[in-house]
Amino acid sequence: MPSVCFYFQVHQPSRLRRYGVFDVGRRHDYFDARLDEAIVRKVAARCYRPMNQLLLELVERHAGRFRCAFSISGSAIEQLERWAPEVIESFQALARSGCVEILGETYYHSLSFLASADEFHAQVQRHREKVTELFGTRPAVFRNTELIYADALAPHVERLGFRGVLAEGADAVLGWRSPNFVYAAPGDPDVRLLLKNYRLSDDIAFRFGDRNWEGHPLSAEKFAGWIHAVNGCGDLVNLFMDYETFGEHQWESTGIFEFMRRLPDRVLEHVDGSFVTPSEAIASYAPAAELSFPRFTSWADAERDLTAWLGNAMQASAHRSLYELRDAVMRSGDADLIEDWRRLTTSDHFYYMCTKWFSDGDVHKYFSPYESPYEAHIGFLNALADLALRAGA
Amino acid sequence: MLGAANKVLMLGWELPPRFAGGVGIVCGALTRALARRGLDVTYLMPQADPQAPGRGVRVIGADRVATLGVASPLHSYASSAPPVRVPGEAVPPDGTPLYGANLLEAVERFSAAAVDSVVDEGVDFDVIHAHDWTTFPAGALLRHSSGKPLVAHVHITEFDKSGGAHADPRVFAIEQAGMCAADLVVTVSRRIAETCISRYGVDPSRIRVVYNGVDADRDDRGPGLPLRPLVLFLGRVTLQKGPEYFLRAAQRVLELEPDAHFVLAGTGDQLPRMVETAAELGLGRRVLFPGFVDRDRAAELYASADVFVMPSVSEPFGIVPLEAMDRGVPVIVSRQSGVSELLRNALKVDFWDVEDLAGKIVAALRYPSLSHHLRDAGREEVGRMSWDAVAEQVQRIYQEVARA
Repeated sequence: MPSVCFYFQVHQPSRLRRYGVFDVGRRHDYFDARLDEAIVRKVAARCYRPMNQLLLELVERHAGRFRCAFSISGSAIEQLERWAPEVIESFQALARSGCVEILGETYYHSLSFLASADEFHAQVQRHREKVTELFGTRPAVFRNTELIYADALAPHVERLGFRGVLAEGADAVLGWRSPNFVYAAPGDPDVRLLLKNYRLSDDIAFRFGDRNWEGHPLSAEKFAGWIHAVNGCGDLVNLFMDYETFGEHQWESTGIFEFMRRLPDRVLEHVDGSFVTPSEAIASYAPAAELSFPRFTSWADAERDLTAWLGNAMQASAHRSLYELRDAVMRSGDADLIEDWRRLTTSDHFYYMCTKWFSDGDVHKYFSPYESPYEAHIGFLNALADLALRAGA
Repeated sequence: MLGAANKVLMLGWELPPRFAGGVGIVCGALTRALARRGLDVTYLMPQADPQAPGRGVRVIGADRVATLGVASPLHSYASSAPPVRVPGEAVPPDGTPLYGANLLEAVERFSAAAVDSVVDEGVDFDVIHAHDWTTFPAGALLRHSSGKPLVAHVHITEFDKSGGAHADPRVFAIEQAGMCAADLVVTVSRRIAETCISRYGVDPSRIRVVYNGVDADRDDRGPGLPLRPLVLFLGRVTLQKGPEYFLRAAQRVLELEPDAHFVLAGTGDQLPRMVETAAELGLGRRVLFPGFVDRDRAAELYASADVFVMPSVSEPFGIVPLEAMDRGVPVIVSRQSGVSELLRNALKVDFWDVEDLAGKIVAALRYPSLSHHLRDAGREEVGRMSWDAVAEQVQRIYQEVARA
């Protein structure tokens, strides 16, 4: 039976308040801390607290045999420290157990790699410092925002001292190959790639509560059977998903918590059943081959590309305008200004401007605090206009 | 067994070129589109114009009504306030209000004459389709005499026109009787459907919402005005259309965009008041009042406009923003309009939120990434709202009533 490698993403953005054009040059408070607080408290109650508790129980009960990984964005860490410190404490307890690995990412959950290598390095370093300080462990494996990855990222990952990187097991990249092996980055063989098994991951993340899905209801036995079926054609199954899958995207009433409570028993009852963290996977399994990602790939949507964040002209223009200000902002040496600018690099701001489904009328496909992508765009540009004034750009 | 539903007797109060408001345009476009689908449409109105709206449509007038003093231009949507003279506005030759108390009388005469006209002209029809209260009594009479099903199409109600407080009880009663007599009630928005349910007691199962369409009409761009940037309001200048919010937003916009120009086009009882308000707000030469504009002048304004605003306090549908979008003008509509229910690629505001409106006008003027996207996506969106698609929906409704 292949090893199971769980990775959960924890992220919260700093959301913009309704920042109007008449505020430009007059006030500089772009962010809506009260909205962030309300959301993080709600998600903590429904997901972070009960799920951390459950994972702690699993770690204890299985005496080290249940293992998993987290990536927690810097902005999420800050919000949890401020409004749900007990969640930070339970993450620390999980990290102390030695069964839970914390991954590296960009502090602001940004698209910085696509715009500025300097900014990317700065944000990854800052995140590593924060994680090291908080959890006493230095991240050794990297995951870029939304699993965005291409060959071009590998040398940067290596230079930053990571042993591996997580990516989407996209059909367009894999072709006939399986996501259930460790791969090596071409040209940077010391950088290993762990690829999301999107079918099995999405069975939990997207389809678990769907009564029209043929797999419904999904029991731990059934799912462990599907993992077992990989036997012989894979070393590990990478189950990568948003942590909010548990209790937020899939409500408690779907039975998602019970499923997770039982799954380790069903996996570990096989003689060769095991869980591994990403670092352990890289240490345990030799790469099956080199695998090239010529184009940027992400874990989003059917397209598995960048169009959710930079697909339309509003998004591309807003992102370009933001990075055009970077030099002036950094030169200012103004810590508040730099912090505000960096919070605007968070990918969510661009996601809210996405029109992919909006034009077809399916606005609910995308979670957004805005009535429309246009509102999101206007608010972002207004804030940017003020930021440019402050930066003297 | 399916009843035949190919021959339609359409009852309208206005029809281009003999029209006063948006409803006439809507009736004309719908009639043409139904004819394009191969339906046989006879359009009965108080006074027919020899110029038919298109092939396959026959227009007849209930002429006896016409000779009874309902002179052109017909204006069923006039308020009962005394008419206001605006420089440049066309006024009836005798300068008297056309309707008011007379309108009810004219409606009554039209109803009686309609049955006779249909018989005299030998009109053969499967379905009666009546537009708004002025033709509902005629529709009900024809339904009674012919036994053919009646579709009552509600573009606006007395309740919307008056804001509820001053609804004319006689008009209200006629509307209610028409909706009650109809086999199905068609409304132009959910907003109007809700009014029909809550105020007129119509059973929700008898209501179908059919949004208006828009016909591509992009070839008539004028040379444009040398006033840039330009913010456009185009519609009747009445309380219902919220022109004052447009002017108050203009004042705020000018603080940030001192070069902006504002055109408040159209006429109505609030126009003199708006001219005064603009002066009080110190808007000076930044606001222009061209009065009534015909289609050519409207095309010229669209060609010049950087953003179109419809700040209506209450709007059953609101077709003008679709025309603006079709011509590539970014639009801002009030959430209190029916059209905001279906538009995606438009900016939306609450009519009273002048600050939000001003902010969005400035955004549309300042941020090309925004205005270009609104322009392109808006055109595409409106391109899908063809009258042909609307006619298809309406035809299904005819089949539904014919079957029952």
